[in-house]
Amino acid sequence: MAAVWLLLRKDLRVLARSPLLLAALLAYPVVIAVLVGLVAGYASSKPRVAYVDEDHVPPVVQVAGHRFHIQTVIDEVSQNVTLVRMSPAEARRELADGKVVATITIPPGFLEKLASTVQSPSLVLRTTSGGLAPRVTQQMQALVYQLNRKLQDAFVAADLRYVTLILHGGSTTVFGKRYDVLGLDAMNRELAALPPSERVGKLRQFAAFARLALTQTGSALKATANPIGLEQPKTKGRTWALSAQVQAYGIALTVTFLALLLAAGAAAAERDEGTIGRLGRGLVSLGRIVWAKVALAALAALALGAVIAVVFGIVVEAGGVTGGEPWSRLPLLLAGVALAGGVVGAAGTALGALAREARTASLVAVLVVLPVVFLGLVPRGVAAPAYWISDALPFVHAVRFFAAALFATHPWRTVGIETAWLAGIGAVLGVLARLGMRRLAA
Amino acid sequence: MTETLLRAAAVARRYGALEALAPTDLDLNGGETVALVGPNGAGKSTLLAILAGSLQPSSGRVETAARTGWVPQRPAHYGRLTARENLELFARLEGVADPHSAAAGLLARFDLPPDQPSGELSVGNRQRLNVALALLGEPRILLLDEPTASLDPAQRRRVWEVVDDVRVGGGAVCFATQNIEELHHADRVVALQHGRIVGSSAEEVFG
Repeated sequence: MAAVWLLLRKDLRVLARSPLLLAALLAYPVVIAVLVGLVAGYASSKPRVAYVDEDHVPPVVQVAGHRFHIQTVIDEVSQNVTLVRMSPAEARRELADGKVVATITIPPGFLEKLASTVQSPSLVLRTTSGGLAPRVTQQMQALVYQLNRKLQDAFVAADLRYVTLILHGGSTTVFGKRYDVLGLDAMNRELAALPPSERVGKLRQFAAFARLALTQTGSALKATANPIGLEQPKTKGRTWALSAQVQAYGIALTVTFLALLLAAGAAAAERDEGTIGRLGRGLVSLGRIVWAKVALAALAALALGAVIAVVFGIVVEAGGVTGGEPWSRLPLLLAGVALAGGVVGAAGTALGALAREARTASLVAVLVVLPVVFLGLVPRGVAAPAYWISDALPFVHAVRFFAAALFATHPWRTVGIETAWLAGIGAVLGVLARLGMRRLAA
Repeated sequence: MTETLLRAAAVARRYGALEALAPTDLDLNGGETVALVGPNGAGKSTLLAILAGSLQPSSGRVETAARTGWVPQRPAHYGRLTARENLELFARLEGVADPHSAAAGLLARFDLPPDQPSGELSVGNRQRLNVALALLGEPRILLLDEPTASLDPAQRRRVWEVVDDVRVGGGAVCFATQNIEELHHADRVVALQHGRIVGSSAEEVFG
């Protein structure tokens, strides 16, 4: 292994004497990580939805005796979408152009049905058939759920007014006609004034039971409207920017980029400088040259990965953010970083050997690295083939390893599986790199 | 009786359909300098690279009885490393006992600037470093591919002195050239054309 060490030391020395290359290799993945972060941030931003009011709902409406300020209600419930008021024609055009991802329409007669409190009006949702449609539908369902929750109290209160009337008696107007209601209380009093008999006793028993049941109606109505509630206590958890996925993706992206470019460039440079011929005449076997490039990639990945992990840990610590194990799991994370760096380094060596020229190798590596990374970002549900392809590449396994190492309560199963994946992929890429190196030396 | 230090038996090299070198036999004996002569594409560099072990023959085999030094046609060293670092690195890879002293000796012998990145050296200095690298480990077989192509007369003279030192010391030297004036350094001439040995004088290929 002395020859591998000598070549590795040489490559590190060459790298240290190429400050521009070193700076680019360090800065580029950081820039890419930020851009990916922005894209991911955009993906989690509120989609734009057209809001069409065909019922001409006034700014303030009264439902079941409660006054609602429409814009305030919309602002409160549209947490996941941005509702933009439009005319029907405008909404249709913007939906067709893709400027809005959906239209939600209040049809004519909506408010009248709602105010009756005995009919359920419907909103009309139209979406495109693109990949965002299921997500938008879910968000609109959430919006309707929020609206229903707002209205539910008013509806329950309206229903309870009738119950109160039956319990205690009084006057009410139904469909414009006034009624005086006796009420169970008064009925009891009337029955008490009658001579006792079996029939009167049965009526008094029924009135007592009805009274008992109706006093529970308020709670029962609320429970019927919301069988299961959801509480959301405020916690100081990780923000999106400090999430496990972002950290794992950030490190994996940086490692992939750095290791691939470095190994590809270093392998191709052996031919550019003519040294592959000198080395290949018995001084160093081609297999050991591959190992030297793999070690270079692993070492560079380890150094940069360690810096990112430590900086992230300090930010998390300073922010008092809970969750994750930024320090105690650092050795495990770095072991994964070195492994992933080596595996990607084998891929880079193969690319460099095939490209046969350092500039071409660097260009090819850049062209290869971005699809590899973006394939790993495609969720399984969106495009299954992309998910399968990414499974055969090291990036996604590095992400899973890093996420488990930093955040899983019991990381060993995932770490074991991903280590096996990385080792297997690394072995295949190592064989390819060795074959490529033979071609490079010819 | 002269000692055969290198024996190539029916070595050939093909690149797909192209035959760069037809099956060729060549012996290099101790105390002998052999010149390979021929036009561009004759197969000189291919034969030398095979003899040096830098290129695997498609068929045939090469047997060597001593350490081999190789001067490729294009300087082969790391441009970001200095001449000293290049010499020390390859000395270690060659298994030279004292790489530091070996490098220092060759730097002085070839009058090379020790601490300048070799990529920044003049063309002549790069070629001298190329030759110096071949002498690490004091090889008894020296293979040179157009070693004086980019050197001035004084530097050429120094290279031929090195060649003579190896030959006088009982070693074998084989060099490729297109310069007929250099053939007087050779004890034997091998003329190549279209990947085949066609004779033993330059006239057979240059007319």
